[in-house]
Amino acid sequence: MKKLLGAILSVVLMVGLLAGCVSSNSGTTSKANGSENADKSGKLKIAVVPKLIGIPYFNASEKGAVQAGKDLGVDVIYTGPTEADAAQQVKVIEDLISQKVDVIAVAPNDQAALTPVLKKAKDAGIKVMDWDTPADQSVVDLSVHQIDDEAYGRHITKSLVEQMGTEKGEIAILTGGLSAANLNSWIDGAKKELEENYPGLKLVSDKIATDEKQPVAYQKTLDLIKSYPDLKGIMAFSTIAPLGAAQAIQEKGLQDKIAIIGANLPKDSIPFLEDGALDLAILWEPDKLGYLTVALAKDLAEGKMPQDGQEVKNVGKIEVWEDGKTVIMGPPTDFTKENAGNYDF
Amino acid sequence: MKSILKSKEMSIALIIVMLSIVLSFISPVFFTFENITDILKGNAVLGILAIGMTLVIITGGIDVSVAAVTTAVIVILGKILVFLPDSPISIVLMFIIAPLIGVILGALNGMLVSKIQIPAIVVTLGTMSMINGIILYITNGQYLNSTSFPKIFVKFANFEIFGISILIILFALISIGAWYLLKYTVIGREVLAIGGNKESSIRAGINFDKVQIFVYGFMGLLAGVAAIAQLSYTKAVDPNGLLGFEMQVIAAVVLGGANIMGGRGTIIGTFLGVLLLGIMQNGLILAHIDVFWQKVVVGAIILLAVTFDQIQYKRSKDKLAKIEVEA
Repeated sequence: MKKLLGAILSVVLMVGLLAGCVSSNSGTTSKANGSENADKSGKLKIAVVPKLIGIPYFNASEKGAVQAGKDLGVDVIYTGPTEADAAQQVKVIEDLISQKVDVIAVAPNDQAALTPVLKKAKDAGIKVMDWDTPADQSVVDLSVHQIDDEAYGRHITKSLVEQMGTEKGEIAILTGGLSAANLNSWIDGAKKELEENYPGLKLVSDKIATDEKQPVAYQKTLDLIKSYPDLKGIMAFSTIAPLGAAQAIQEKGLQDKIAIIGANLPKDSIPFLEDGALDLAILWEPDKLGYLTVALAKDLAEGKMPQDGQEVKNVGKIEVWEDGKTVIMGPPTDFTKENAGNYDF
Repeated sequence: MKSILKSKEMSIALIIVMLSIVLSFISPVFFTFENITDILKGNAVLGILAIGMTLVIITGGIDVSVAAVTTAVIVILGKILVFLPDSPISIVLMFIIAPLIGVILGALNGMLVSKIQIPAIVVTLGTMSMINGIILYITNGQYLNSTSFPKIFVKFANFEIFGISILIILFALISIGAWYLLKYTVIGREVLAIGGNKESSIRAGINFDKVQIFVYGFMGLLAGVAAIAQLSYTKAVDPNGLLGFEMQVIAAVVLGGANIMGGRGTIIGTFLGVLLLGIMQNGLILAHIDVFWQKVVVGAIILLAVTFDQIQYKRSKDKLAKIEVEA
């Protein structure tokens, strides 16, 4: 018995050791090649911290950020926690402060939880900005948004009307989760557009939660089709919900009857876009967002603030709000069956 | 006749009947063949896992790693399917590989629970976390759609007999198999005996370790089958799709009249528990109930069902005690 226990204990320890290697490897790859020769060359060090590493969306933005680092001659450190957890993110930022980077750009998992550590970074003379998701606006020098939430919601409503080919009928809204702040503000934008410009469209129910899971979205869409046989369109917010909804439409052969607009990434949607079950996927390009973040971070470190209408290379024209620090990357990108194959995210 | 009416399955069956009558009045589509098969198909994965969980819970154990094990098998199947040829052999291979991986992972849980005697919830929490971590490392959370799977798989997933999906048939076969196993085989009787009274069944010569490894292995086997069902249902590999699903599985079993402390539980009860959960989710949209109220209604019905069952159980127990006194 003792022998067996010993053997098992050692196996567990070995696994723990290996797991440790793995996670620290994936967490620090970009860090390592970023900071190696930074001190010698005197290059600017820009840290970009995503909500978490290892999901397709943030992998794509990493690509853009690293590319920008190469193009602009700055060292980019792209590192973050392995799960969307604010406490782990604080640790990552503490680590970056002691590495004396020049700029920290963070996509916070929790606004309030990050404020103290960002203040600390500021006191250490590090420029602080947020990207992807806003942080506490009193501590950041710059706030990079992928889109204007309200304009995005309105754009989705307009696209749905276009795909339906009519301004009358019943429509439904699917969402990833009822408590997701960004999804809610997009949906509010979409609803505003409905109320103001399309009185003929009727929402059959309040937004329906799909728990960020494809089978749930699939089932709820089936139920929707059955209970509202005249349903003409579905707006699906979140990257997974449109896939489940499109699967239901595909299996019931309702491609021409019901239009779906999804807020998702092109690569996952290809089979549904080609089949016509999903009419359009609308999102921004995460790699461009990473690129823009690094480009603006470099300007910030050099004391330059962005200007409204400024042209950023490889990204396009950006919009700056009146407060002078809120940057909007630009209008969202429409992914159709023609262009979806060109993206690798 | 009286004993059937008083049985613990009866209370939940009654709730289902009442709910169905109400729903058919509210929505004409509820009681249609298409909708009923949709409900069964949509809950086949939940059902298959709940059947396995019933055995585990009868012996007084619990397995919170089911969702993780199922996802692990799905991810491995997804990787293998890409290389498989477009012939029926692929389907056969799938039915060999998936349960096999499931049994290995399940038996590992069973070994840890029985041989080292760590509480089941601790063991399975640990394996759940490990498996989830490895899945995240391998897949990077990447979603994989069916375009790269062999055509035969899509055909299999859409296969129907008399309009009844292969998923429902799979679920039915497993339910009947597990019912037979509990009722007519030695190992099945041993599972029930351990649940009824652990000490006396060990004294009667039942090998407790063997039974425990069996129930966790069986759970793993069904997780493997559930992986095939889930993969057929979504026709895609979503590494996060089943996150937190174990709670629903356990809820279905408990709703079906099983005692979470062990000793009580039946396959028919679990089947009804799954059905009740499925009908509730289906009916709420059909009944046009507002999203925010849906959760309240779900909670209320669960409480109602369990209270009803518990009162029945207590009454029957009270009677039992009386008889003993009189004798």
